[in-house]
Amino acid sequence: MTQRYLILEDGSVYAGNGFGAGATTTGEIVFNTSMVGYQEVVTNQIYHNQIIVYSQPIIGATGISHDSYESILPTAKGMVVRDVATISKNRQRSLSLDQFLKQHNIPGISDVDTRQLIRKLQSVGTIKGSIVDVADDHAFDQLHATVLTNQQVAQVATPKPYPNPNTGYNVVVIDFGLKHGILRQLSQRHCNVTVLPWNADAQAIISLDPDGVILSTGPGSPLDVPESVLEMVRTIQERIPLFAVGLGHELFALANGASMTRLGTAHHGPNHPIRKIITNDIIYAEEAQEYVVDSETVDRNRLITTYLDLIDGSIQGLRHRDYPAFSVQFFPDGAPGPHDSVDLFDEFMEIMGTREG
Amino acid sequence: MANDIQKILIIGGGPTEIGHETELDSGTVQIIQAFQKLGIRSLLIDNNPFSVALESVQPTNMFIQSVTTENVTRIIEREQPDAILPTAGGVSAISVCQELQETGVLAENNVQLLGIPSESLSVINNPERINAVLAQMNLPVIESESVGTLDEAITVAGRIGYPVIVKPVAPKIDMSRMLCDTEADMIEAVSKGFNWSRFGQCVIEQSIVGLKEIEMVAIRDGRGTQLLISGLENIDPIGIHSGDSMVVAPTLTLTNQDYQRLRDTTFFIGTQFNFTGAMHIHFALDQAHDAYFVTKVTPYLDRGTALASTVTGYPIAFVSAMLYLQTNLTDVKLPDGYRYQQSLLLEPTLDHVTVRMPMWPFEDVPEADQHLSTVMHAVGSTIGVGRSAEEAILKALRSSQFSPRDELTSRSDLTDYEIISLLIHPLASRVLVLIEALRRGYQIDELTELTKIDPFYFQKFKHILAVEELIKSKPLDPTVLKEARYYGFGDGMVARLWRVDFDTVRQIANEHDITPTYKGIEPTAAEFPSQTSTFYSTFENENESTQLSEHTALVLGRGGNQLGPNASADYFTTEMLKQLNKSGYKTVTINTNSNAGSLMKSLTDKQYIEPIQLGDVLNVVQIEHPEVIFVPGNRHYLTRELRARKLPVAVLPPDQEQRSELVYDHAEIGLDLFVTAQHTVPILLSDLRSEQGLATSLSQLTVMKTPSQVTKTQFDDILSHATNYLTEHPRTGLVQLLYTIERGKAIFAGIRPTRLTAIAFLNKVTGINWIRMLVRQALGEIDEALIADLPLDIRSNRIAVLRGTFPFKQLQVPEKLGLTTQEVGAKIGFGTAEETDLTD
Amino acid sequence: MAKVVVDAMAMQRALTRITYEIIEHNKGIDGLVILGIKTRGVFLAERIASRLKQLENASVPVGELDVTKYRDDIEHDGTENDPKVTVSKIDFPITDKKVILVDDVLYTGRTIRAAMSAIMDLGRPKQINLAVLVDRGHRELPIRADFVGKNIPSSQNERIKVSVTEIDGQDSVEIMRQ
Repeated sequence: MTQRYLILEDGSVYAGNGFGAGATTTGEIVFNTSMVGYQEVVTNQIYHNQIIVYSQPIIGATGISHDSYESILPTAKGMVVRDVATISKNRQRSLSLDQFLKQHNIPGISDVDTRQLIRKLQSVGTIKGSIVDVADDHAFDQLHATVLTNQQVAQVATPKPYPNPNTGYNVVVIDFGLKHGILRQLSQRHCNVTVLPWNADAQAIISLDPDGVILSTGPGSPLDVPESVLEMVRTIQERIPLFAVGLGHELFALANGASMTRLGTAHHGPNHPIRKIITNDIIYAEEAQEYVVDSETVDRNRLITTYLDLIDGSIQGLRHRDYPAFSVQFFPDGAPGPHDSVDLFDEFMEIMGTREG
Repeated sequence: MANDIQKILIIGGGPTEIGHETELDSGTVQIIQAFQKLGIRSLLIDNNPFSVALESVQPTNMFIQSVTTENVTRIIEREQPDAILPTAGGVSAISVCQELQETGVLAENNVQLLGIPSESLSVINNPERINAVLAQMNLPVIESESVGTLDEAITVAGRIGYPVIVKPVAPKIDMSRMLCDTEADMIEAVSKGFNWSRFGQCVIEQSIVGLKEIEMVAIRDGRGTQLLISGLENIDPIGIHSGDSMVVAPTLTLTNQDYQRLRDTTFFIGTQFNFTGAMHIHFALDQAHDAYFVTKVTPYLDRGTALASTVTGYPIAFVSAMLYLQTNLTDVKLPDGYRYQQSLLLEPTLDHVTVRMPMWPFEDVPEADQHLSTVMHAVGSTIGVGRSAEEAILKALRSSQFSPRDELTSRSDLTDYEIISLLIHPLASRVLVLIEALRRGYQIDELTELTKIDPFYFQKFKHILAVEELIKSKPLDPTVLKEARYYGFGDGMVARLWRVDFDTVRQIANEHDITPTYKGIEPTAAEFPSQTSTFYSTFENENESTQLSEHTALVLGRGGNQLGPNASADYFTTEMLKQLNKSGYKTVTINTNSNAGSLMKSLTDKQYIEPIQLGDVLNVVQIEHPEVIFVPGNRHYLTRELRARKLPVAVLPPDQEQRSELVYDHAEIGLDLFVTAQHTVPILLSDLRSEQGLATSLSQLTVMKTPSQVTKTQFDDILSHATNYLTEHPRTGLVQLLYTIERGKAIFAGIRPTRLTAIAFLNKVTGINWIRMLVRQALGEIDEALIADLPLDIRSNRIAVLRGTFPFKQLQVPEKLGLTTQEVGAKIGFGTAEETDLTD
Repeated sequence: MAKVVVDAMAMQRALTRITYEIIEHNKGIDGLVILGIKTRGVFLAERIASRLKQLENASVPVGELDVTKYRDDIEHDGTENDPKVTVSKIDFPITDKKVILVDDVLYTGRTIRAAMSAIMDLGRPKQINLAVLVDRGHRELPIRADFVGKNIPSSQNERIKVSVTEIDGQDSVEIMRQ
């Protein structure tokens, strides 16, 4: 065990033991309160350039499994945990979380008072930090000097189109940093999927003659995504059923005139009750957001609010008044998180069904 | 419909037994509090003399009778309640309500069922019927069939294939399953099972021994909103009853897929059966084949809901009560005693780990078969809370009091052959064998294969051994002490490994600032800035617990439940806390028993879930600086050590072993008295008996009857002897003087502290709370004028009986004369001589 | 032999989608009234109205139309005789309103034709749209639903059974072979 440190912009230092890669990294600190699914979390590309703090104190006890990847090449900047287990459960008994992180050059730090850290994050909000070998002035200088990119989407989204052939509806997925859970749900429903790069233009999409289009999840701020993408969304929503998730939802909101606000403290976890307004049902889903639609700016003549977080009042879903186009802020695919809203994918299938022929 | 409900009959859990201890009663207390808030009158039937719930209803609403269909029917007919609550009294309450439904009593009297719709109630605890219903819902269940004769059983078992599981249909006791490898085993099990079943039937089913046992505790309102409170993972696989298994919360070795699938199924079951309130679903999880089975559906309060409630801080019983009356989850407010203000709709998220360790009664019933099986043997359990599995495991183990000095028992006495045998056929306290096997060099893969326990836990046990080695190798090293405490080693353990005395260890800790940091137990994992009143210790950076008040009473709980007079100790502690609150103290408690009523948040200002061991107590004392520390009478070492440190100790519940002066080892009559500085108050004269009549030793005295059958002269003689005796041999507190009758004369047989069980009896018979008297006495708050004027009628003719109950049936030992050390609970009865004789 | 083709969840979704389609189609709910055809169409109409209310925070009036058959023993979607539809409860004006007519199953179209006659007797709506939970084909009249929960192509010797929680204790659509 090597002593390593998590240092924060405000000068605080957390000593712990290094695991995974020995790399020195810098990223935004974000905490996640999921009690299961650490692998899905760390491989989700929304954590590009972020250091994830897990509130669940024991991480690693189920190893790494082939059906829990949300991306093949995770690009998170680190994992901060209280206790790490080195279990391998794959058939070769050869891939523990520790080995996995080493393969992907992601450092981990364990034996950190994560509860203290989360209590702090909950009050200070967004803060930058580094995982380092020595917590000296130099490390802090480096931390302060590091400017995090705002080109996260371009960095993680696929640069080239690729297919996921099947026999059902023809669906185009626009990749902003796609989590595989979305593809898994589409595969289960036999969709013939083409994944297009984040900057695909409307014509390229329409040329594929899709039954429906999905705007995927992704990292970073929706405000850093160029206007051309919003243009694409506006064109597509008029013509083709559209379903947008996570960052996709944020872009859908922006494209339809709403503004986004940065949350004081990001919320990442599956525990918030969400009201499905149309039926008044309460569901749970993994939320992972730094930005939220500013409800004041939602044009009631264009958008209907469909889901609301009952804890912080944040808008969790929207639907266009005039087109079969809808979006959710949370992750309905259940990877990780509850399956309570997984049938949004069925709803999408049924919408595509009514437009057939 | 729910608006019409003004009077609810709650079916109590009856005497404590294997299968349930105080959790049902403390759940009932919380339910009564919730009903009170809604302006609803609660009627309660129970004959458990240690019931706190009975103390929280008006005397006119209290029915001290055994929980039988006949008694409940009579109450329903006379009292005409609007509704009946079947979910607070465990298996027997469900069974009684099923009979009330079948016989039409509920319909005839227009009594509404709460929590469980009637069509669902009829299948609960009936394995065959519930499996049929679950199969119809396309849920995976184990192949099974019910049989009523031995011949049928042999045919069915042959078809399903051995090993098979045998379960009695609608059992009268909580004993669930018996695993049978051979036809001979099966025949034995079926024969027993026919006796235990209300219908003389058993179910024979496919064995799923070795799979992972997972429990999900959820809550659902009448509108269909549901949320998961906690997953519970049994460390021991299916084949060992979940009550005999080490249990960990939250689940640690489940993938997201495993977890979500079981969550979905739990909710699906809730919807299909239309349950409201708490529900607890058991699963067998086959991770190798990505499959699972639903094994048990319990939509009522039990030890699982109690554990989930303690570890998450979610008030399950209270909220359930609100939901039974069709309040929606969106509208329920937290009860008193909850300092955090979060919505009850947040799904609890944990940032700590809890391990529950069972405690078995084999020391007191040595003839019982100690093999762990599908029949529950444990009488109690303790929990350990920490931030790592090692810490939680060690704290739970240390809490289960293998050693009063907080040393971990070693099983180095076992031969290699015995170890193998114990790995395959586990006995009680198997965790010590697992650790010993690792110490002897068994590989984790081998152990996983033999025991079906997830390798993760062996890694953790192994790490505990590594830390132990480290401690041994570097005596007096502060860095090592830090490591030891970080992973949950107690000061007593470290002292023994270092071969130094306890204070040396603490001195090193103090000098190097290795102090505990207390963390709050609350349901949001620090997502919100929260206030909580419940804490556990760990050794990290930030401490969240500071001194509560200058005027604090620290009350040490009893810990895990055991057989003997201590079965009533938790009742005693609860009543103590009520008096301390009344006396103006801020109250702080330490306990490790998630079933304990004394851990209810409404009773204390602050709770520590910590081992009740010297080092841990001293750590809490260092924070709280209590004015007085109440230590249970059975904790002699702890009392001595605290006193040696000049701490203000009061011993309550009273020590049961000390200061007895016995002339004979048998007695027939007992006179209980309360003795203060100025007064000697005779309280009750009663006949003391064994279960079969006259006892040949004091340990057989498990029955108390009043009025005593002594003659008036004998009565007078006893009274005057007692007064004289106590003048000559001054005592204070509650004492019992013992007498025998020889040639028509009462002969003094000895004096002893009033038994804890007897104190409960005195309370119920006299209507005066003697526990509170003892507390006042300990605090120096006795009002002597009041004592002189107590409304006591020692010559009352009212008939009352207290009988100890014994766990022999569940432990499958032949019925025999029970001893006081073997009492698992007790029952009380009032009325005419005939009626009280009928109470058993 | 009964086979569930739409379960409770799918029925909820279908009604949800129909609701959104009604909003899309009508650019809101101004001037909207909903008429349900008895018995199950009324419950479906009420559910759509409650969804609209949840979303738009404004009530849409719901009325009831009664189908009387010439013979009691034929199915409501039977073909042998034309059903007669009477107005059983509509206590609001429908002239110049946009009427959404709601029924559970669309089959021959005769019920709908009769329903439209009954509506026309009451006043002059601006438009009439038809929403059905199930379209099973086999139309005998030139009638088409604007909002369809689910198309279930069926043969004539099959029966479609729609159950709703309000009276049947569950939400489902089943195909029964006769």
